[in-house]
Amino acid sequence: MIFSSELIKGTLKTIVLKLLADNKKMYGYEITQTVKELTKDRIQLTEGALYPTLHALEADGLLTTEVEYIGKRVRKYYSLSPKGKSKAKERVNEFTEFVEAMQSLLDIKPRLA
Amino acid sequence: MYRITDQQVDFILDDIRRRGVEMEDLQYNLLDHICCIIEQNLEEGGDFEAYYQQTVAAFYKQQLSEIEEETIRLLTFKNYYGMKKLMMGCGAFSALAFVVGSFFKVMHWPGAGVILGLGFLVFCLMFLPLLFLLKTKESGSGRDRVVLGAATLAGIFYGISMLFQVMHWPGSRIIWLSTLALSAFVLLPLYYFNGIRKPEAKTNTIVTSIILIGVLGMQFTLTALHKKPEPTTQLQAGK
Repeated sequence: MIFSSELIKGTLKTIVLKLLADNKKMYGYEITQTVKELTKDRIQLTEGALYPTLHALEADGLLTTEVEYIGKRVRKYYSLSPKGKSKAKERVNEFTEFVEAMQSLLDIKPRLA
Repeated sequence: MYRITDQQVDFILDDIRRRGVEMEDLQYNLLDHICCIIEQNLEEGGDFEAYYQQTVAAFYKQQLSEIEEETIRLLTFKNYYGMKKLMMGCGAFSALAFVVGSFFKVMHWPGAGVILGLGFLVFCLMFLPLLFLLKTKESGSGRDRVVLGAATLAGIFYGISMLFQVMHWPGSRIIWLSTLALSAFVLLPLYYFNGIRKPEAKTNTIVTSIILIGVLGMQFTLTALHKKPEPTTQLQAGK
């Protein structure tokens, strides 16, 4: 099952922050591929959603960037700023609690008895 | 694995620019991303141009510049929640100022004019424009934005009309009649013809339009169209 874009849109920042917390620095294409591999193709980030989010996170001071020149190409690597590191933890904790709340709300907890 | 030449890099970059992406940062992001996809997936000796067109087409719904629009939208509205709070604060303040100011006015207490004036100013210059900005962000189509713009303008005109009326400033009558005309002949048709196109909003649009016509009609009826005759004239007429 491929998840709807609405579901992904609300969690995109959390996904990017968590990935960058686990990997020191990443570039756009690498982020999409890593998400694809980790979720076995179930979450496929679109370029149209990823880059605006990366720019917004950078503008918020959560990401720092460095560029690498590959011939005529410029590859922009993103990594977490100190503010971004604490934000990543905060967003992951928030999402974990959200999932727990949704489990009880939708009654999808594995039943023991 | 395909190896992209410098000429092909130039070709992609030119094409990205031609498609309306103006932010340099975003141009290079997309350039590198497209190059990565082509290098990873296109076989050696494959048709570069056909594969490029196919790849870039997967990036957007209608046109590539959507990505830039979304980026600008996110950058501009990064203070979305702050704006929302400010809007609610302004709304609450102006509502309170209207109530307190009207009470002062009725009691003929000093300061009524200042309180009401401040309330109207905050309502017209902060609350309504902020509401417009936040609502246009949520609505997708250009037509919805035009309707929202007309509604905001009508709201501001209502505020100005009330302010002129309460303060007994000259020209209040013409502003009030312009407000009614704007609402009846611009806002109402725009709202009706925009809403009627959408199957899910059709019934609501018709009901709201009828209510609006009723309210505008009542407001027009309550508007004194002729100046009241002077008491002396009445006496003479009575003789």
